[in-house]
Amino acid sequence: MLDAAVREALTAAVGAANIVSDPVGLRSYECDGLTGFRQVPSLVLLPTDTASVAAAVRVCHEHRVPFVARGAGTGLSGGAMPVADGVVISLQRLRSVVEVDPVDRRAVVQPGVTNLDITRAAAPHGLYYAPDPSSQQVCTIGGNVAENSGGAHCLKYGFTTNHVLSMTVVLPDGEVVTLGGDSGEQLGPDLRGVFIGSEGTLGVVCEITVRLLRVPETVRTLLADFPSVTAAGEVVSDIVAAGIVPAAVEMMDNLAIQAAEKAVGAGYTLTTPAALVVELDGPAAECGEQFEQVKAICDRHGCTRLHIAGDAAERARIWKGRKAAFAAVGRISPDYIVQDGVVPRTRLAEVLGRIEQMGTAAGLRVANVFHAGDGNLHPLVLFDADGGELERAEELSKDIAELCVELGGSLSGEHGIGTDKACSMPRMFGVDDLATMDRVRSAFDPHRLCNPGKLLPTPRLCGEKPGRYRPHPLEEAGVIERL
Amino acid sequence: MTATMLAPTDLRGAHEALAGTSGPVEIRGAATAADWAGAPQPAPTVLDTSRLTGVLAYNPADMTVGVRAGTPLRELQQELATHGQRVAFDAARVARGATAGGLVATADSGPLALAYGSMRDLVIGATVVLADGTVARTGGHVIKNVAGYDLAKLLHGSYGTLGLLAEIVLRLHPIPAASRTVRLDGELPVAADRAAAVLASALEPVSLEWADGTLLVRVEGTVEGADARARELARLIGGSVLGDDDAEAAWARHAELVDTASVRIGCRPSRLAGVLAECGGTAVAGLGTGIGTVAVAPERVAAVHDVVTAAGGMSVTRRRPGNGVGAWGQRPSALRVLTAVKNELDPGHRLGRGRFEAWFGEEEARS
Repeated sequence: MLDAAVREALTAAVGAANIVSDPVGLRSYECDGLTGFRQVPSLVLLPTDTASVAAAVRVCHEHRVPFVARGAGTGLSGGAMPVADGVVISLQRLRSVVEVDPVDRRAVVQPGVTNLDITRAAAPHGLYYAPDPSSQQVCTIGGNVAENSGGAHCLKYGFTTNHVLSMTVVLPDGEVVTLGGDSGEQLGPDLRGVFIGSEGTLGVVCEITVRLLRVPETVRTLLADFPSVTAAGEVVSDIVAAGIVPAAVEMMDNLAIQAAEKAVGAGYTLTTPAALVVELDGPAAECGEQFEQVKAICDRHGCTRLHIAGDAAERARIWKGRKAAFAAVGRISPDYIVQDGVVPRTRLAEVLGRIEQMGTAAGLRVANVFHAGDGNLHPLVLFDADGGELERAEELSKDIAELCVELGGSLSGEHGIGTDKACSMPRMFGVDDLATMDRVRSAFDPHRLCNPGKLLPTPRLCGEKPGRYRPHPLEEAGVIERL
Repeated sequence: MTATMLAPTDLRGAHEALAGTSGPVEIRGAATAADWAGAPQPAPTVLDTSRLTGVLAYNPADMTVGVRAGTPLRELQQELATHGQRVAFDAARVARGATAGGLVATADSGPLALAYGSMRDLVIGATVVLADGTVARTGGHVIKNVAGYDLAKLLHGSYGTLGLLAEIVLRLHPIPAASRTVRLDGELPVAADRAAAVLASALEPVSLEWADGTLLVRVEGTVEGADARARELARLIGGSVLGDDDAEAAWARHAELVDTASVRIGCRPSRLAGVLAECGGTAVAGLGTGIGTVAVAPERVAAVHDVVTAAGGMSVTRRRPGNGVGAWGQRPSALRVLTAVKNELDPGHRLGRGRFEAWFGEEEARS
């Protein structure tokens, strides 16, 4: 519990009207999109400007109170889970689009602005904000910065980190600084780059200047069915080998398609073993030329149905099916876990085969939706909690993420490590790697007040692992050597 | 003082070079940026990366490559080109043998930055050796990866002060079938006006540079597509499409001007033309990126810093004026936490003394 003096100081910092302290109100902040991890905070602050965020953080720093910044709470790794005896700093009242500059193609926004609202504000100028996580209608740019969010189009356009020019940040001791600048030029090391994707552990972002891109002249989208996931995977390989960089390449397997069709009826074929969504964008003539190449590649690999979006509405419908897939899985299973792992694209077929075997061994179904162009998988582990399958499902999901590491990939492509995967980090990184990251964290937050317990494993969270030396999985695989 | 030269050939050697020595160390690659930023203080140990070379992992189908950081980017590009791929990066000094690691450490970029950014946007993983010999990996071999802090970006622009980049992993792009350049001769205000029209179009230039009297706009794509867009660009700006030889010569002249510049600056793109006009001298302007270079006499460098600072930009010298004027026109807003990062990663301040002048403490500057 927070003592009265701290409550008073925090109230003074943000104003009495911007505090949630009643038990019912606090409960609504107990978790993010990963609802399995819950912790009711002691207090929720809803500051309305940068100065009051800084004032609140200074109080926390002075009294050694842990704090967790929070956007829309759509995160899927428990990154915004509150800390016991700590406060939540919600950025939901910082939601202005401060400026859209069509000449220098950038926007200045507050952290509570949703991802899609940036594009809405830019649209009258023929501009848009490129990163588009599936939750873009509700997720906020502040959360996107914390997680370095990607989306379906990041194969061609990159991630949040490639689109943020500068940020106003409140450091964990309350100092307000600017990271980045008006151009890509840097004054020394790129602190902006290390802050983006730090999952709220290095400070609180209060204002963000993002790059806006010119809306491409043409967008062409197709939905293609294939007799197997392998055939669809070969199409992706051939597109890449042809020197084409698609705006997006998404794959869904049959279970995911069934779920999505039940939910939104986007016109996918219920019986197809696999479907690809391929989108190209750019100058009309070149886009058209490459689109013909993609169609030919699809045919070569036994495409059983090719549907080309005739207009924007049809394109939106195809994407609706894809973007609804996660939530839609609720239609075919009482419960499910969304996993997020990455493998080198050339190992997609291998990892899918292994996932299928692992699912069979665990007696659980796994639906697959993934960003095939960049090897980012989203296996959905289906289970029935009432049937006592939760533990098995969690184990399978964790094993899938760790399998990605074993195949030379990553624990997370876009959902983050958060609370969920902190204890898996030693599977991907060695002791010295993690210790070095912890040194960086110490530089920003020596008292470990800023979103503590997230991202890096702690003995309290993961248990001590003493005992004899065991070779790291990456050492065994010959990827790294012990020096 | 004769410095001990250490030239490791692999990660183990790089680790031993730092773990097995004490005192200040200067990390040196191809020395193509030796005159940039603050002057390195003489150090008893020089860690030379010119033998830390070679491709470690290259699977063309994954479009990523892992290399030892001392590999000259020019050589890497030749190897990648045999597979129709490239690192989409073209800083002027690549042609002089700059190393992949050096290009990251100095936050350099070239005309392609308009479309592809700088090395920070292309580095997806790194193995770093800290001052105490600690070997730390960050990122990996996949382009999409949010696990852990992105230390490769932290090292971007660190000028050898935070650690040695021993190995890096880069994302690759296909070499486009065609590249076309449109040229218009004219003064900077005219060029800036035309550049605004280009940026407002859907013609997707990958480079948009004014180089001392010449506006150069480059498009890349399929042969027919690039030709068509180049013709349209020529109409839009009133310029002409260059043949391959002329285009090569125009870009070579651009690179030469950048190579001989004395200060590099960055600011809001729309302010760049005005800033450069005030700076005087011979200028190159990235009209879409806001990054430019200027060649001025040493006695003008202080004024250049002032002009850029007043416009909210950043400036750093690429040729030491030798008159006591600082290399860096500004200090970072987050210098306190940057110093804390330095103290955590290199508590003895062994690495890269002088590169940031006195940012990390006056004692260091004096010692």
